[in-house]
Amino acid sequence: MSVDSPSIPAADSRQRQQTSLELWVGRLTSLAPLWTLLALGIFFGVVSGGNFLRSVNLNNILVQSSTLGILATGMTFVLLTGEIDLSIAAVMGLTGMIAAQLYTTLGFPEPLATILALGAATFLGFISGFISMRFRIPTFMTTLAMSMIADGLNQWISGGKTVFELSNLVQFLGSGRIGGETSILRVITVVAVIILLIGFLILRFTRFGRYVYMTGASKSAARLAGVNTNLIIIACLTISSFLAGVAGIVNMGRLGSALPLSIPSYLIETIAAVVLGGTALTGGRGSMLFTALGVLIYQTLRNGLDNMTSIDNFMKVFITGLVLLVALIVNVVFSGRAERDKSQ
Amino acid sequence: MLNSAPVLELKNISKRFRTLQALDSVDFDLREGETHALCGENGAGKSTLMRILAGIYTEYEGDYILDGQPVRFSSPREALRRGIGMIHQELSVMPELTVAENLFLGRQPLTPFRTVDWRTMNRTAEEELTKLGFAHIDVRRPLAKYPLGTQQVVEVLRVILSGARVLIMDEPTTALSPAEIERLIELIDMLRKGNRSIVYISHFLNEVMRVADRITVLRDGKKVATVDQAETNRDHLISMILGHDAKTEAPLVSIQQHASIMLEIKDLSADVFSHIDLQVGASEIVGLYGAIGAGHFEVARALFGMYQFDSGLITVEGHTYPRNFSARYAIRHGLAYASETRRKSLFLDEPIYKNITLPHLDKVGAVAPRRVREIQFAEPAIHMVNVSPPDPYNPAGKLSGGNQQKVALARWLTLPPKVLVISEPTRGMDIGAKSEVLGILRELAQKGLAVLVASSEPETVLAVADRVVVMSRGTITAQMENKNLDKEILMRLI
Repeated sequence: MSVDSPSIPAADSRQRQQTSLELWVGRLTSLAPLWTLLALGIFFGVVSGGNFLRSVNLNNILVQSSTLGILATGMTFVLLTGEIDLSIAAVMGLTGMIAAQLYTTLGFPEPLATILALGAATFLGFISGFISMRFRIPTFMTTLAMSMIADGLNQWISGGKTVFELSNLVQFLGSGRIGGETSILRVITVVAVIILLIGFLILRFTRFGRYVYMTGASKSAARLAGVNTNLIIIACLTISSFLAGVAGIVNMGRLGSALPLSIPSYLIETIAAVVLGGTALTGGRGSMLFTALGVLIYQTLRNGLDNMTSIDNFMKVFITGLVLLVALIVNVVFSGRAERDKSQ
Repeated sequence: MLNSAPVLELKNISKRFRTLQALDSVDFDLREGETHALCGENGAGKSTLMRILAGIYTEYEGDYILDGQPVRFSSPREALRRGIGMIHQELSVMPELTVAENLFLGRQPLTPFRTVDWRTMNRTAEEELTKLGFAHIDVRRPLAKYPLGTQQVVEVLRVILSGARVLIMDEPTTALSPAEIERLIELIDMLRKGNRSIVYISHFLNEVMRVADRITVLRDGKKVATVDQAETNRDHLISMILGHDAKTEAPLVSIQQHASIMLEIKDLSADVFSHIDLQVGASEIVGLYGAIGAGHFEVARALFGMYQFDSGLITVEGHTYPRNFSARYAIRHGLAYASETRRKSLFLDEPIYKNITLPHLDKVGAVAPRRVREIQFAEPAIHMVNVSPPDPYNPAGKLSGGNQQKVALARWLTLPPKVLVISEPTRGMDIGAKSEVLGILRELAQKGLAVLVASSEPETVLAVADRVVVMSRGTITAQMENKNLDKEILMRLI
């Protein structure tokens, strides 16, 4: 095209020429989560005398990562817009319970029970987002309220009782194996991988994905470019809630029962995993691939510590916290996110 | 009296910002009980001088003498301790707190139990307000319940109560209604009688002539003169501010006399502007000029659906926009907008091409925009405005101000709109970048666009507009062809 304007390259740019060494250091450090994961794997492999690296155990990590991976996919969408969803653990519990009650108590056919339960989860996410945007309430508060609402509904619907009778579909999703009973490949892992992959494709390649990033990078700039940031945020909270519902269904199948209470640790673990993967809480930065890495880092840490019989069980949570902190520092420092401009 | 020894004196003050000589050997003095106005164009050095006075800038050459003693403040806090307080253009009051709390911010009287002594605080506040003639203000009410003018008064009183003998006021009236301005001027008179000294900075020369005892004019970082109010008048001030040798660029002659109307605004009103009527024809550039706070930037934003207006009609090429339309709607219906704050309107960490394609992603790829197509879309626009370097992958934040503005323009060029609304197109740019950006605007107009340029820089408006519309305090005060216009005429109208 019109190359007829021979302006001197870089004449007006404030960019400093980078040496090839700096470029390589930049490329390597931007993969910090990957190195963290490898370092953890090697460390636990060595201290466990190779036990940690046995395929059975590695597969365990994948299975353990699955529920978290599904939750983290939704949370990545939300955090990328610079918002947060605190209701995922509660919505997850509620969705499982709705599905179980519809099937067991009311005799709804499968998969209708599951679809209705997922519909409820989706609706709750939409409501959080809509109220936040319509009344300009921080998502921090609306989703916190939604978390209590979902927990309350869960207890109310269940009457405080655990449901042990699950449909075949739910059991298949949660604890089924692909390729017969002896196969190592779990359905739950495949579901998680597919969801992460779809999330990746949407964020990376679609118009909607671009809007999500830009909304998080600068809401004002996005609005000035005609992006309906409110709609994008509502959509992300809806996605997050829907995926929390999916996680609730498969996790129920994995545990074999629907609990009348949510498991609150899932919320913190999800946020930790996404941030470990380098997604900024302020929005605009991060990717689904790194979220997957973050989930694996977190579960590797948990699994590795569980396999170290020499450590007092009661110390493990403490150590998890410490290692998390270090990993966060490393990720932030190496991704070059320490700001030069102190007013930012 | 007025001939008493100065409270403070600045001698031979110079201040550099990298290549810019902001102040060059400026002398300034302030007497007891005097209101001393500082006048000059944007960039003349008023703000710099005032910041040195208030202890905000600590690095400068020259002497600062307070009560006959040389001083060197290390912070605004220290300056305040020595009796020099500043009222910023943006108020720093806490609207949620009561009037009394605001008056005693940071030094509330305490009870023996180290809790706030509300009774003493409210009583003292009442006494002080009564003494200064503001007995009608209820000190127990939240400050937010009072109009902006009262909030400003409270801020002034707060600084006085914290012991300031010298008060620096930076454009204190831009956001005030005429009645509120009267009250502020009364307050200033009262302070003067109480022997406080005031440094008063304002664009509005009528106000300056009313409140000031002496006036110092700055131009290009140098002091032009200090004159007694009685010895000067508005015209004299304007000629000193502009310099007698000021020559404005030759006004453009309107290309088309009776252009078809592309943008029509009818009776547009909101909180900060009212009854705005305006038309921009095809191939025409209209400059919407006003001082900062005149409401012209808000009018520009309202056209893009980014500022809520209460009544009025916006019509683009015969199509009237609905109420509460969105920016997306405006874009689809032929209107583009570039805001006065580039930091807020560009994604500085993102590559140029993403900044350019964002408003048009639906046309680049309905579901999935492919990078190749995005680059194809962005590249012609980048070359059209001559972004340097023309690398679409370069983050926008790495560009100079002028090139960032070109990117902000480029995003509208591949699929040209009917109407381009741009606020402060050349703020903070060097001469070369300025003329380049203005050249682009002219080119766009020649291609048939209607261009509306909202600006507080008279040079910009005079250099680019076919027609100039002047706004002052939210209303249009004049409309005229840009023929034989100069800064002087514009400055008289605001």
